[in-house]
Amino acid sequence: MSFLEALLVGLAEARRHLGQTLLSLLGLILGTASIVTVLALFGGQTKQTQQFVAEVGGAGTVIVRDREQSQQLSATELASDRMTYEDAEYLKDNATTLSAVAPGWAPTMRYQAGDRDFPGQVIGTTPDYAIINDIRPMVGRYISDLDVRRRARVLVLGWKFADSLFGHPEAALGKLVRLDGKAFTVVGVLEREVFQFAVWSGNALEYRNERAYIPITTAFALYMGTETRIAFLTLRAATPTGARAATEQVGSMLFLRHGVEDFDITPSGAGANDDAQFFLLFNFIFLVVGVISLIAGGVVIANILIASVVERVREFGTRMALGATGMQIFAQVLAQVVVIAVLGGLAGLGLGAALTGTVAILMRMPAAVTVEIATVAIATSLSVGIVAGLYPAFRAARLSPVEALRYG
Amino acid sequence: MSLINAHGITKVYRLGRVDVPALRGVDVQVEQGEYVAITGPSGSGKSTLMHILGCLDSPSDGEYHLDGADISALRGRALARIRNQKVGFVFQTFNLMPRMTIDENVALPLQYRGGFSRRERLKRARALLERLGLGDRIGHRPDELSGGERQRVAVARSLVGEPAMLLVDEPTGNLDSKAGAEVLRTFREVHNAGNTIVMVTHDMHVAAEAQRSIHIADGKIAA
Repeated sequence: MSFLEALLVGLAEARRHLGQTLLSLLGLILGTASIVTVLALFGGQTKQTQQFVAEVGGAGTVIVRDREQSQQLSATELASDRMTYEDAEYLKDNATTLSAVAPGWAPTMRYQAGDRDFPGQVIGTTPDYAIINDIRPMVGRYISDLDVRRRARVLVLGWKFADSLFGHPEAALGKLVRLDGKAFTVVGVLEREVFQFAVWSGNALEYRNERAYIPITTAFALYMGTETRIAFLTLRAATPTGARAATEQVGSMLFLRHGVEDFDITPSGAGANDDAQFFLLFNFIFLVVGVISLIAGGVVIANILIASVVERVREFGTRMALGATGMQIFAQVLAQVVVIAVLGGLAGLGLGAALTGTVAILMRMPAAVTVEIATVAIATSLSVGIVAGLYPAFRAARLSPVEALRYG
Repeated sequence: MSLINAHGITKVYRLGRVDVPALRGVDVQVEQGEYVAITGPSGSGKSTLMHILGCLDSPSDGEYHLDGADISALRGRALARIRNQKVGFVFQTFNLMPRMTIDENVALPLQYRGGFSRRERLKRARALLERLGLGDRIGHRPDELSGGERQRVAVARSLVGEPAMLLVDEPTGNLDSKAGAEVLRTFREVHNAGNTIVMVTHDMHVAAEAQRSIHIADGKIAA
């Protein structure tokens, strides 16, 4: 009897007892469904994290910040001017691995327009900032090179602040806004930026809607006198994969200028992983449930198969009398379990797809069951079935024909 | 040489620490085309003898040649092969597969032998069922047949592989007298067609069907 024939017999058996088969497969079905759901959601989240990283600058974007200093400063640390606008100018002119350099000066200031009055972040920067961070004006324009050269008193508002100050964002264009008492003309309002990881989590990009941008030169002239210290540097590598080379070049250039490594260089979007941490727990729980269900499912299948082998001892005895070898009996039992395990895998895949769809809709998360996930699901349940079937199949194969025929 | 040539067959079962002899040196010879009954009360060892002659079990000692092959030394897989090729079993309780049609049941030994397509196996099975007067039952399951019909299906199954002999165990034990007579007539026909039959029974009327009887008592041939 070929294995294919054994498979067909197994299929006919399973079909004849469909309800019983599904019931005995419950653990396997639930386990497979759990694993399908985890993999689909995890795939969705990974894709989403990648999208978020792209949204906040993408691969190839690098941020440089001042390193936190110790209480006791060394001589070289004291001698360093730390990060300055001049560092940014130098990198822009000399760093061959970079395509864009944006310095950032970022204090909290008091916003005033009409009777509205609140504190908020102000970013002093250059036009490159919009390129690196993929910022688009909804109305008006972003800061220009001319603004930077002329130290123009112009302001680009984030969507939320434009809305808060003037009722609706479009109305802000051309109006005056005071920052710590000094007046700026609004030349642009930015598009609203929204990114949600899940329905319960807030807008991960809301901080970008709650700020204003001014030319960095204007910021220094109005608020800083002669000092040109900056809070951060945002850099774009010349190629999407060039972040590493850029990090090395920028690191050595800044070290030479500062005489000490008093800065940290990190890839952009690193913060997105914090949100992903939350999902890891969620995934882990699902995965544990899945694995436990699979183990329980395997034990149930093994038990049912043993019972079925015991029930059919005389049948095996008869088959042996007709010439079945131990190997053929083994194959018969294993074929039966292969059939029900694949059925269980398919049912679990279906349930998992439904679960994934429900979770994706309810939590507004992108998640999809891919061919790879389906393959993993079927392979997993097949492996569980085969492992569970080995012992019962072995027991059936090892029966003595005489005792088997006499049984019952 | 005889078809069945068993010499000095002994079988000892070990129950815990006690050795229980079931056969104590039995000689059996059956010629090609013979119809032989093995009789004896229960516990006499006739079932053990049948198991050994049917290659379901191996003797503890002694020599057994079936159709020219030395069986005494064979175990497991090799013994299964011999059973499939040389022995056709008919059981008291029919032992048909309840979920298969009767033609599938009859074809089963050919499935284990290998080398036949499903189509070829079923063709042979149906031809045999026709020959035994069960043509109108083809495609039915065993539980749709009477006891006598079921046993004739089992006879067809024992014949499908063209074995050297049929080994029949109390074939009428589960049948009423009418169905029993019907089954015995079938065996007569099968024998007349040239087949060798070894039948184990404790029923003297059934044994009378055979050309000769071998009587077993206390693990030995009695007469």
